[in-house]
Amino acid sequence: MSDDLDPIRRLRPDRIEPDDPEDPAVLSRAKEQLMSTIADAEQVTESLQTPDLYPRLAYRDELAAVEYLTRVFGFEEIREARLEFDGHHLCWLRIGSGMVMVGHQNADVHHIYSPLDAGLTTVMMMVYVHDIDAHHANAVQHGATITMELQDAFYGERRYEATDPEGHGWHFAERFADIVDRDGRPPADPDDREGGPDC
Amino acid sequence: MGEPSDASLIAASIDRPVEFGAIFDRHASALRRYLVRRLGPAESDDVFGEVFRIAFERRSSYDLSRASARPWLYGIATNLVARHRRREARRIRAVARLAGTRVIVDDHAEAVSGELDARERWARLAEEVTSLPAAELDALVLHVWEGLSYEDVAVAVGVPVGTVRSRLNRARRRLRELEDPSGEQPTDHEHGDDPRRIDLRGSDR
Repeated sequence: MSDDLDPIRRLRPDRIEPDDPEDPAVLSRAKEQLMSTIADAEQVTESLQTPDLYPRLAYRDELAAVEYLTRVFGFEEIREARLEFDGHHLCWLRIGSGMVMVGHQNADVHHIYSPLDAGLTTVMMMVYVHDIDAHHANAVQHGATITMELQDAFYGERRYEATDPEGHGWHFAERFADIVDRDGRPPADPDDREGGPDC
Repeated sequence: MGEPSDASLIAASIDRPVEFGAIFDRHASALRRYLVRRLGPAESDDVFGEVFRIAFERRSSYDLSRASARPWLYGIATNLVARHRRREARRIRAVARLAGTRVIVDDHAEAVSGELDARERWARLAEEVTSLPAAELDALVLHVWEGLSYEDVAVAVGVPVGTVRSRLNRARRRLRELEDPSGEQPTDHEHGDDPRRIDLRGSDR
């Protein structure tokens, strides 16, 4: 077959001058570098003990989300675990014994969307925190969008709810027993508690 | 059970990074040859080391529906070549110079003028190739030198297959004009009859 691409075919360097025998040192040096990069990553993976179940949340602006979740809701990012590709980021955030993964919304591969694009919120993250009063005060101080005011629920927890800037739902709570243990503001009398069996 | 696919190795390497080593073993030689072709042996060393480091760091973005990782790796390597266009142009010109000295002209009386003609033609080809838009050159080289299908080129450079097709068609048109500026296509027979005409079209297929 002869075609217009033949000139390029002829210009392939190893057809004009056969390749030097492949230098095995180049390959082994590169392999060594790679395995050392991999070994570093193994260490991070070992230190990144994830729960067997944790959500991956999709955002339009995942780094803004990480900043918000750490500042307003008290999450802590495991910074060395952060991955970057195609200008996007995958981040792992811890709170207590829980963890969330935060990434860019990904329609092509994972089919997950920011609530901004989905048009509504479909999941709420349930989070227990130490000192719900302080947690709430911090969120309010940083301008959180509170969707349920702090209240003592009939089933024995103090709770409030908020949405983050892209609309993911967050429910923060502390058990009455834990509030009593830390000498926090005492729970409301049973008659004054919020909600009922259908809440 | 055969060998695991690249996709399943990459998937496993998310939690067990060491699995990624096999991706290197499978593709390093091909990627190294590619970079040597485009940049030269010594000039490609640093770039070669980068390819697999970047691939490893991007492994969580790998499209697991693609069994072979090779087009993806070609894409990473091609992005790196793009940072070294001057290196690449030097390489192409050097290769063309070398090719110009390798032309054997049977008719001794014609040898001198034939050689000059050959040098000139190779130099012109090098000039044309180095002045191709980068995207066309990438598609051309991946398809022609590396033997990637249009689909694999599309995966590598991250554009639809139709875009690859039109880039290659544009590059073809330019090369055709270079081959024969009058627009007439001489037959292969005519090529063979004129020792001064350097047969860029090749006969070793």
